[in-house]
This record gives sequence, structure tokens and C-alpha cells, in this order.
Amino acid sequence: MIENLVEITVDQLLAETSKSKYEGYRFITATCADNGDDTIDILYHFDKDYEMKNYRVTVKKGEEVPSISKIFFCGVLVENEMKELFGINITNLAIDFGGHMLLSEEELDSPMLRRQITIEKRGGK
Amino acid sequence: MSSTTVIPFGPQHPVLPEPLHIKLVMEDENIVEAIPAIGYVHRGLEKLTETKDFTQNVFIVERVCGICSVMHAMAYCQGIEELMNIEIPDRAKFLRVIWAELHRIHSHLLWLGLLADAFGFESLFMQVWRDREKVMDIMEETAGARVVISANTIGGTRRDLSKEQMIKINLTIDEIKKDLEQVESVFLNNYTVKHRLVGRGILTKAEAQELCTVGPMARASGISMDLRTTGYSAYGKLDFEPVIHNDGDNYARTYVRLKEVYQSIDLIKQAIAKIPEGEHVVPVKGNPPKGEVISRVEQPRGEVLYYLRANGTKNLERLRLRTPTFANIPSLMKMLPGSQLADVPLLILTIDPCISCTER
Amino acid sequence: MFKMMGNIFKNLVSKPATRMYPFVKREPFENSRGHISGCDIDKCIFCGICQRKCPADAIVVDKAEKSWEIDQFRCVICNACTEACPKKCIISSSTHKTSQYNKDTLKVIQAEKPTEGVGKDA
Repeated sequence: MIENLVEITVDQLLAETSKSKYEGYRFITATCADNGDDTIDILYHFDKDYEMKNYRVTVKKGEEVPSISKIFFCGVLVENEMKELFGINITNLAIDFGGHMLLSEEELDSPMLRRQITIEKRGGK
Repeated sequence: MSSTTVIPFGPQHPVLPEPLHIKLVMEDENIVEAIPAIGYVHRGLEKLTETKDFTQNVFIVERVCGICSVMHAMAYCQGIEELMNIEIPDRAKFLRVIWAELHRIHSHLLWLGLLADAFGFESLFMQVWRDREKVMDIMEETAGARVVISANTIGGTRRDLSKEQMIKINLTIDEIKKDLEQVESVFLNNYTVKHRLVGRGILTKAEAQELCTVGPMARASGISMDLRTTGYSAYGKLDFEPVIHNDGDNYARTYVRLKEVYQSIDLIKQAIAKIPEGEHVVPVKGNPPKGEVISRVEQPRGEVLYYLRANGTKNLERLRLRTPTFANIPSLMKMLPGSQLADVPLLILTIDPCISCTER
Repeated sequence: MFKMMGNIFKNLVSKPATRMYPFVKREPFENSRGHISGCDIDKCIFCGICQRKCPADAIVVDKAEKSWEIDQFRCVICNACTEACPKKCIISSSTHKTSQYNKDTLKVIQAEKPTEGVGKDA
């Protein structure tokens, strides 16, 4: 079970993150999970003296999410990864790799979302 | 007005165990800016775990990284056991600790050898890896394989250790301790080695806290953070303290990792003395119920976090892992500007980069 | 200077730390997982549990044809099949898997004799 889980909205995200930094919390990572019904859950994990605090934000696909990399610089890698693998629209990144940090140009974009992909077979070899 | 040149610290480099690309923007010999680029070993393992059973996932998760593979399996098994409310026997907890500490010794000895190779001291590299071979032989004899040992399963461990094997482990780690005392004076007191290590790549305590570093890098800058003191598995019954150094340069990180090998040897001896009798595995039936869980474990490189979400079927809905090198790379971007080109390979090695963990 | 003499003398007298491979090979330990060398086809009941447990999808069991095959290049030698088999008929040997020349000759297909046990009472 996850301890200290708080549900917040996208607008409260930056305020809560600044408050955690002021209180001395350390940012661990952010997790993304596809709920299967057109919404995506983003969880942010913080830690202080081995006690965790987690925030959950639920967004629709395509909605804008502000980046926390101006507050915690170490979040820049995680947010780039979320943007590439899940297609979440994150704005104001401190360093933006433009969708090519992990994936190359020939691959499908947002491979971690649950979607139906149809492959057409052309006749002949 | 000096002009800038851009030198690629390419994906292939003799010093790196895994491919990592860094663009160095330089003026004469000093580095002004460093931009990393990862993505050479991305295998998409998180998506693969959504298609396999939760029992087959143990084998996939172990193969995320070769050097820290036992702790990955341990964190995953602990997470599933908490989700399904399974209580594993005490003997299994101690066995997991013994294999985890042996793995930590092998990982730190590998790093010490690579460090010696990075500043050109090849015979020291060979000496340290000779001792590492003894640890690999123990792992092959007790668990079945040298590197990816597959000793953990859900509900306990797959094999047991007999009394003769435990006596043999004790004798072997005594030999390793004696050899290490000779090598220690070269790493810590030699004049030329100290010239390359002292005063380079300084990361102060405030910077380390701001960049959220974990593991031996944080402990070498003075932050006392070791997840083993929270007492998961059998660590609550063993008695040890985190190893800290206050300087924050390359020498401090070498010191911390060397002393942690001694600490692991001591932990294995304590665990073998205190191990209780009993079963080593409990049978597991059924599927994980709906819910989510977070489990954290201390790997040789720092703290790893596992997030598991299950929905009642035999496949997991989401498995997310964040490895310690992922958290240490931003501090590399802050440490490199201001240093010289000849120090760059050593600096990158001191964060202990495990790139295949970073981009599973 | 004199501390070195003890080390030099010890190095001159003791034998080297390496062995002359490939003339001298190392004996593998008894419980080590080398490779899956095959299956005792007379005991196999073709239940298919090993096929379900394999994490690499390397085993294919065919009940109609009575055959058991393994793709040696996919196998990661985890021994999950050996532990899961109810009749304990999968044989795992401790010598290390060596490299091969052809990819297609590595499937070990063995067919069971269909009329076994009929002539035993006679």
C-alpha cells in the first residue's frame, strides 16, 4: 500500500512541489500509468528521512501539465521520458530533448499507451 | 577571446562499461558545458512485463542489469509479497541478505578495478578482479550461475545453503579481506593515485541535496542516507552504520566504496552466525489482488524504487522502476563544467554509471 | 625496499594464477546451470506446464505429435521448466553452452514410440 497518498489537480501541482522543497523533501521520481479509459495517472514521489509522500494527478490525453524541472532540476530526465513514452504534453522543460532521448526516429511514438494498432499486410513480398 | 570547440565523449569509450554519449563544449582545456544523450540500450522492458505472468516477471526484472541483478529481484519479490500478504520464513530473509551482500562486494570490486584501469594502473585492476573471481566462484557453487544468479522467487529463495557451504563462504571472505588490506594502502595512500583523485570533481553537501543524489555519491558528500537502516528483510537484526566522508571529491567516493566492502564482509559474517533453521520457501497460490504498492531497496549504487499496480489477473497492469544512476546523472551535468579534459573519464566513472539500468 | 623482497620471493616460487585454457578446462560445479540438454521422452506426459512457465517462450510441446522441442538460442537457462515439471524429466547439465554453427539444427525433436507397454504382459 502506498503511504501518504494525496490527490491533487494539475493547477495545484507547482504550489505543492514548491512547498515540499521548502520543507526539505527530496524528489525521487514520477510514475505514469495508463488507466485504460482515456485518462492517465501521474504520481510524484517525495521522501524525507525515509518517509514517503506521494501526489496523484489525473489528466486526460493531450492536456497540458507544467514541468517541475525549474524547481527540482533532477526531474528533467523523468519528464522527458514521460513525454516520449506516453505522449503527455509537458510545457516549460528546463532541457527538452524533443522526443528523441530514448526513442529513435523510425519507431512508433508513445509506445507505452494501450492502443490498438492495425498492421496492414501488402500483397507479395 | 578564446573560441569554443565541441568534443564528443562518444558512446564507445574504453573506460565505460556501457554506452553513454556526452557533448563537451570546451574552451582550451577547460569544460564549459556538458550535455548528455542516452538511449543506446533502451530495450522496452517495462512494456514486456505487461505481457508476461507475475511469476515470469522475476526473470525479466533480474536481467535489467547484470551487476546489480539480485537486488532488482529482491525488490520485486518484496513488492509482490506485500501486495499478496505473504509472510516469508526468517531463514529466507537471511539467505536473501547473504546473496545481496555478496553481490554488493562483487559490484564494488568491479568498480575499483575499473577505476584503476581508468588511470592506467593495469596491474592493480588485475589484482582486484582476481579477488572478484573468488566471489563469482562462490555464487556459482551456491546459486548456480556466475552473474545473473536467479536465487530469489516469490515466497522465498529457490535454493538453500548447507553448513559446509557456509563454512566455505566464511573462509573465502577471510581470504578476500586479507588481500584487500594490501590493495587498500595503494588506493588510499599512494602518492600518484592521490594526485589524480584528491580535489577533483567536488560536489558539496548543499549541491548534492539540491540535485537529489543517492547512494555512495551522497554518502561521500556528507549526507547520511542508507536505506538498509530502515530494516527491510533481515537488516533489522544486523548491526551496522552507514559509511560517510565529508569531502565530496573523487577520493571520498573511492574511500566510501572501499570501506563498504569491509562492511559487507562483516554483515555476511553476522548473518551466517545468526541464521535460524526452517524452510526456505512458502508456496504461493492465486493472483495478486487489485492495488498498488511501492518497494525500495538499497542497491550498490543507491536507492531503487519499484511501483507495482495489479488488477486481479495474472498479468501486472504497470511495473515502473527507477534506478539510482537515473538520479545521479543530473549531478554529473553539474560536476563536469570547470574541470579539465583529462579528468573527464574518471569523473564519469565515479558516479558508477550503469546505463542499462537507466534505460531499461 | 626490503618489504618488496618478500613479495618478489613469493611470486617467484608460487604457481601462476591462470590456467592454460583450452588445454586445461575447468571442472564445473555440480549444481551450476549449464544448459538444458534434453528431455527424457519416455516419462513425459505432454502436460505443457514447462511451455507455460518458460519466460523466454523457448519450449514448444505438441501433444498430438508427441514431441518436445526447445530452441537453444532463446533459452536463458533459468531452470524454471526443470522445477515445474511434475514428472521431473527435463535434464539440465552443468557444462556451459558452447557456440554453434547452425541455428536450425538446435531444435531437439524427439518422438515417442506409439505402441509402448502393449507387449509387456507377454
